[in-house]
Amino acid sequence: MPLPILATNNWYDFRDLSNFSRLILENLDKILPHGIVYVVAVLLGFVASFLIFVLPSQLIVGVYGERKLIGRIQSRYGPNRVGPFGLLQPIADAVKLMQKESLMPLRGDVIVMNIAPLIFVAPCVLLFAVIPFGPRMIIGNIPSALIYFIAVSGLPVLAAFMAGWGSDNKYSLFGAMRIVAMSISYEVPLVLALLGVVLFTGTLSLQGMVFWQRDLNIWIAFAQPLSFAIYFIAVGAELNRTPTDIAEAESEIVAGYLTEYSGMKWGLFYGMDIGYALAASAFAATVFLGGWSFFGLDKWVPPWLIIVTKTQLFYMIFIWTRGTLPRLRVDQLMAFAWKFMLPIAIANLFVLATERMMWVRAFDADLKFVWVFVPINLLFTAGVVFAWARFLGYRPENTPRKARLVNQAGGFIPLGGAKGETRP
Amino acid sequence: MATRVWPGSETAAAAERLVPGSVAKSTPVACYLKPEKLVETMAALRTDPESDFVHLTDLCGVDFWDHFEVVYHLQSFEKNQFATVKVEAWDRENASVPSVVPVWHGAWMQENEAYDLLGIRFEGHPNLYRILLWEGYPGWPLRKDFLSMPGGLQPGLNEFAGTARRAEPPVRAVE
Amino acid sequence: MTSTIKTEPFVINIGPQHPSTHGVFRIKATVDGERVIDAEMVMGYLHRSMEKLAEERTYTQNIPFTDRTDYLSSMSNNLGYCLAVEKLAGIGVPDRGNAIRVIMAEFQRLASHCMAVGAFTNDTGAWQTPVMWAFREREKILDLFEMTCGARLTCNYMRIGGVAFDLPKEFMPGARKLVQSLPGFIDEMEGLLVENEIFLVRTRKVGVLSPEMAINASLSGPVLRGCGVAWDIRKADPYCGYEQYDFDIPIGYQGDSFDRFIVRLEEMRQSVRIIEQALDALPGGPHSTQVPLALRPPRGEAYGRVEGPRGELGYYIVSDEGPSPYRFHIRPPSFINLSALKEMTVGGSVADAVVVLGSIDIVVGEIDR
Repeated sequence: MPLPILATNNWYDFRDLSNFSRLILENLDKILPHGIVYVVAVLLGFVASFLIFVLPSQLIVGVYGERKLIGRIQSRYGPNRVGPFGLLQPIADAVKLMQKESLMPLRGDVIVMNIAPLIFVAPCVLLFAVIPFGPRMIIGNIPSALIYFIAVSGLPVLAAFMAGWGSDNKYSLFGAMRIVAMSISYEVPLVLALLGVVLFTGTLSLQGMVFWQRDLNIWIAFAQPLSFAIYFIAVGAELNRTPTDIAEAESEIVAGYLTEYSGMKWGLFYGMDIGYALAASAFAATVFLGGWSFFGLDKWVPPWLIIVTKTQLFYMIFIWTRGTLPRLRVDQLMAFAWKFMLPIAIANLFVLATERMMWVRAFDADLKFVWVFVPINLLFTAGVVFAWARFLGYRPENTPRKARLVNQAGGFIPLGGAKGETRP
Repeated sequence: MATRVWPGSETAAAAERLVPGSVAKSTPVACYLKPEKLVETMAALRTDPESDFVHLTDLCGVDFWDHFEVVYHLQSFEKNQFATVKVEAWDRENASVPSVVPVWHGAWMQENEAYDLLGIRFEGHPNLYRILLWEGYPGWPLRKDFLSMPGGLQPGLNEFAGTARRAEPPVRAVE
Repeated sequence: MTSTIKTEPFVINIGPQHPSTHGVFRIKATVDGERVIDAEMVMGYLHRSMEKLAEERTYTQNIPFTDRTDYLSSMSNNLGYCLAVEKLAGIGVPDRGNAIRVIMAEFQRLASHCMAVGAFTNDTGAWQTPVMWAFREREKILDLFEMTCGARLTCNYMRIGGVAFDLPKEFMPGARKLVQSLPGFIDEMEGLLVENEIFLVRTRKVGVLSPEMAINASLSGPVLRGCGVAWDIRKADPYCGYEQYDFDIPIGYQGDSFDRFIVRLEEMRQSVRIIEQALDALPGGPHSTQVPLALRPPRGEAYGRVEGPRGELGYYIVSDEGPSPYRFHIRPPSFINLSALKEMTVGGSVADAVVVLGSIDIVVGEIDR
C-alpha cells in the first residue's frame, strides 16, 4: 500500500517525528559500522514512544489524572500538595515506593515472586511496538499485528498467576485463580469481536486498519458498535478495572495477587496496570476510533497528538466506571462472559460475516458501500442488547426498591400488607 | 402505647400456670425460676400466646458475692410486653445454669459472653468458649473478687470523696 | 464421562486486618473454592472491659465510657445510659432537655447511617465514591455536634437529668439548613445505588434471613426490620417524648442485604422528619435538672433502652446504693446482631460474606466493649 505522505520530509516537520529519527539514523549510519543502526533504530523507537507517549500518559494522565478525576468524582480534591497543583505527586509516589522495604513472605517462593514483576512489565513495553502513532511512526509494522497484540497481552496473566502462587498467601491464590479464570473467559468474546473488525478491513495490520478507516472516513466503532462494546467490556475485565476488578477486589481478597508485594515490586505492578490499560486504550483508539486519523485533521495536527488524545479520552472512561460502579461477584462475571458476551459476540460475527458476503456479492466489494451497514449494525446492536436484557438476561426481582412503611410497632408483617402499613 | 412491663408476680403466675413448680420466688421486678425447670419454662413462655416472649432481648449475669444471678429480659412483639426473669446459681466454684440456646438462638453469643466474663457455665450450650478473652485467661473479670488485692484492699472508689467504704465482702484472691 | 474435581476445603481468615471488616474483627471462614461452608467469629481484639471499669466510677463518670463503645453513635449511647440511670434513680427530664435529646439522637442516627450506607456500598465494591459522598454529609452533622458540645465523635453530651449544655444560638439555623439539604442527599444516594443493576445483583438474595430466625436470634434494628418485622423501640416503648412525633417504621421484604440497605435509607428520611418536627416544637425552659454529682440511686435495678442506629441499645444497671453501679451491663446491638452471621454467610461466596458483614453494620468497639 503506498503511503500517502501527509507531512514533508524535512526533519523539523514535527507532524511526523519519523523524519527526525531518520535524520539521526542516517547520520549514525555514516559513523557506525553497517548493521548497528538497525539495533539503534528499535531502541530509538522505544525511547521516543516512551518519551512522547508512555511517560506523559503514565505519569500525568495515568496516575495524576486518575487520582484527580476520581477525587472530583468522590467530591474531594485529589493530590494538591506536591508541586504545582499536585502535579509532582506521581514522582513523589515513585520515590516513596523505591524507598520502601521490599518485604518477602517467609514461605514465599523467592524466585517466582521476584521474577513475576519483570514478566509483568516486559509485555507492556512490547505492546506499544505495534501501535501506529502516525503514517510512518510505527516501531514494528508487522502484517499480523493484531495477533501479536492479542498474544502478548495474554502474557501478564502468567505473571499475575506467578505472583499469586509465589506469595504463599490464600488471598493471593484467590486473586491468581480468579484472574486466570477471568482472562480465559473474556479472551474469547474479545477475539471474536476483533475478528469482526478483521472481516471488514480485510487486514490484520493495525496500520492497515487505520488507513481503512481514514480512507472511508468512518470509524469502526460506528460501523460495528457491538464489537466495540464487547471489546470495551472484555478488555475492562482483562485489565481488572472496576466493575470487573475481582482479581484484586479490595473489599474481598485484600489486594488479590498483590497482597504480599510491597515497595517498588508492587509499584511495577501498579504502574504497569496503568500501562496495560493505556495500551488497551491505544489499541482501541487504533482499531475502533480511527487511530491517528481524524477526518482530515491529521494533515494539520500531528497525528501522534491525535492518537495520544484519543487514548487518554478512552482511558477516562475506565476511570469513570471505576469511580462509579460497584463490583460484580466472580460467578456473576463468569456467567456474564459465557452466557451473555459469547452468544452476542457470535451473533455479531455472524451478522458481520453475512454483511461482508453481501458486500462482496452485491456491491462488488466497493468500499464506499460500507455506509449501508452502519445503520443496520447500529439497529442490530440496540436490538440485541435490549432484547437480551429484557427477555433473556437477568431481571431484578419484582420487589420494590423502597422500604415498606408501617406506623405501628408489632411483630412480623407479611408481604401483601397488613395492620398499620401505610404504603406498599 | 408503651411497652407493658410485667411485674415479677405476673411473670411468676404465668410461669406457674405453664409449668407448675417452676417458680422459686418473685420480686416486684423479676420472677426467679428454678434452674432445673428453666428451659422448659422459657420455651413455654416463648410459645404461649398470652406471654409470647419471642425475643430474648438481653441476657447477662450479675455477681452477688455469694451467688450469681442470670438475668433474662424477654420481649413480646405482638403483645408489646416485657418481662424480667432471673435464675440463681449458688455454687461459686462451679456456677452453672441451664442454657436457653434451644429456646432462643440469640442466647448463643450472650451466654458465651456471660461465661467469658463471669465464669457461669451454661449447661447444654452447643459451643461454650471464651468469646472476648482468650482461652486460659486467668480468672473471670466481671466477678467481684477479680482484681482484689492481697489484704482485702479493693480497687477503685473506696477513697472517693464523701463516700463510705462498702461493706466488707468475702474477699478471695485470684489464683 | 463426567468427573468431578475434588477440592479440599481450607480456612481463610477474613480479618482481623482486612479492608472490609470495619475494625479488628475476624471471620474464620472455611471455604470450598469460593463457597463458604463454615464461618466462625473471632472477636475481642478491642476488649477494654468497660463493664468492669464502670463499676469503679460514679454514674456521671461513666458517660464517657458509653461514647467509646459504639464510637459512631455516641449520642445514642449516652442517651441509653442516661435513661437507664434516670429510671433507676427516678429523675425527671425537662421538656427542652428531652427535645434536644431527640434532635441529637436523630442526628446521630443520620450520621451513623451515612457511615453504614457508605461502608456497605464500599464493601460491594463501589470504590469509595458512595462512602466519600456519605462522609461529606456526615461531616456536616458532626459540625453541628462540634458546635453544640465541642466534640465530633465522642460527644459526651447527655447528662443524667438532661443534656450538658443548652443549644448555641448558631445551632438552629445550621440544623434547619442541614435538614433541608439532607433529603436531597438521600435521593442522590438512592439514585446512585438503588437503580444500579450491579448493586442489585450483589445484594439481592444475599444473606437472606427469615423473620422467625431474626426474632429468635435476638436481632434488632435495621437487620430485624429488613426481615419485615415492624419493631422499633421509639414506637413500641417511647422515650424522650417520641410519641409526640409523627414518623413511620420502614421494613423490608425478604430480609436480604438489599432490604437492610433500603431500610437504612428510609430510616434516614424518617429521622429528618422527626428532626424537623422537633426543631419546630422545641420548647423553652431549662435543659437539665440538677442532679447530685455523686448520685446514689436507691437499691434496685433498671433496664433502660433506646433504639440506637444499629438496634436496641440497652443498659442494665444494678445499684447497691453506692456511688457507682454495682453491675453495669450493655446490651450491644452489633454484638447480638452477629448471632445470625453464620446462618447468613454459609452457602454464599467469600464476596457475599463481606457484603453480609457490611449489611449488618457492626462497630467493633461495641462488639468487644
